[in-house]
Amino acid sequence: MHPVDSSTTAEHRVVQLEEALNEAAQVNAELQSRDALKTQFLANISHDLRTPLTAIITHAEILRDGILGPLSDRQRESITSIIGGGRQLLQAVGEILTYARGAANQLTVSPSEFHISAVVAQVSALNEPLVVKKGLSLSVDVRPELPSLVADREQVTHVISNLIGNAIAFTPPGGRVWVNVSPHRDADVDHVLVEVGDTGIGIAPEHHDLVFREFAQVDPSPSRRHHGTGLGLTIARRLVELNGGRIWLESRLGEGSRFFFALPVSTG
Amino acid sequence: MEAARPHILIVEDSVAVTGALRVLFEETGHDVSVAGSLKEAVEVAALRAVDVMLLDLTLPDGDGLSALTTMRARSIEPRVTAALTGHAEPQIAARCTAAGCRAVLVKPVPIAELLARVREWTAA
Repeated sequence: MHPVDSSTTAEHRVVQLEEALNEAAQVNAELQSRDALKTQFLANISHDLRTPLTAIITHAEILRDGILGPLSDRQRESITSIIGGGRQLLQAVGEILTYARGAANQLTVSPSEFHISAVVAQVSALNEPLVVKKGLSLSVDVRPELPSLVADREQVTHVISNLIGNAIAFTPPGGRVWVNVSPHRDADVDHVLVEVGDTGIGIAPEHHDLVFREFAQVDPSPSRRHHGTGLGLTIARRLVELNGGRIWLESRLGEGSRFFFALPVSTG
Repeated sequence: MEAARPHILIVEDSVAVTGALRVLFEETGHDVSVAGSLKEAVEVAALRAVDVMLLDLTLPDGDGLSALTTMRARSIEPRVTAALTGHAEPQIAARCTAAGCRAVLVKPVPIAELLARVREWTAA
C-alpha cells in the first residue's frame, strides 16, 4: 500500500507524470524501430553491393589470368588494379554489413577450441605480399606455452586481420610491424594476450577513445591520406567484447602504436 | 568428344555472376548449365547428370540446400556439390556440410582456387 495522499494536486501530478512516461516510451519505441529499419537497410544494401562486385572481380580475374587470351604487361597491371579496387570495396561493404548486424545485436558467437598461433600465422601469411610491397618487416612471436582458446575463430581472425591491416596501412616504408602473443592473467582468469604493434604514425592520447568510435577517423578531411569506413576498430572492439575480452591501445603521436586485446582462455 | 567435358551446373540468381562463371568454365573445357532457381536446378539435373554443382544458398524460391535434398530423393544428385555463400560463418558451413556439400566457398572465390577445386573433383 502507498501512503495515502488525498491531495488532488498530488494526484494530478501523478497523472501528468504517467502521461509523460507513456510519451517517452512511445518516442523511444519509435526511435528503436527507425534504428532497426536503418540497420536492415544497411544489411540489404550491403548484399546488393556484393553481388555486382562478385561479377566484376570474377570477370577481371578471368581476363587477368589470360583465360580469354594473352595480355600485355600494361593490360595485366590495369586489370590487377581493378581487382585490387574491387576487393577493397568488398571489404568495406563487408565491414558495413558486420557493423549493421552488430548494431542490431545479430552477431552471434560460435565458439570452438583452437590455437591462436594458427590464426596469427594465417593472417600474417595473407599480409606478407603487402608487407613486402610497402618495404616493411613483419615479425611474429607466439609463446610456446600458450593454451588453446575457446572463442569464435572467425571473429578472432577478423580482429587480428583488422589490427595487422591497420598497422601496415599506418606505417611508412622501412618500418616494423609485430605480433606478440602471450599468456596473461587478468582478474584471476587465464587470458591470451595479443599485441599488434607498429613503428607508424601513432595516435595522440586524446584520440585513443575516438579510434574505437563508429565512423571515426582521426583525420576526417577529404584529403586524408588513410581511407576506410571508420568501422574497423569499432567492429574489432565489438567482436572482442562478444568473446568476453577487452581491447585497448598504447600510442603517442609519431611513436608508433601498440594495440592489445585479451581474451579469456575459455568463454566459460 | 563433347561428352568428355565435365558438366558444371551453376545455381545462382544473379545473371551477372552466372555470366562470369559461365565464361570461366566454358573457356576451361567444361560444359556449363545455369539455373536461376531451385526449380530450374532440379530440371537441369534431371536432363543430364551433373559432375559439379555450384550452389548459391539464397535463391528466389527458397533455401539452396533444399535443391540438393530434392535431387537426392530423385537420385539425380550431382557427383560433387559446393555451396557458394556471401559469408564464412561456421553455422552456415556446418549446415552445408550436413546437407552433403563437399566444400563451402565464399564469394567471390578467387578463380584460380575455384578452377583448381573443380578440376580436382572432376578428375577424381
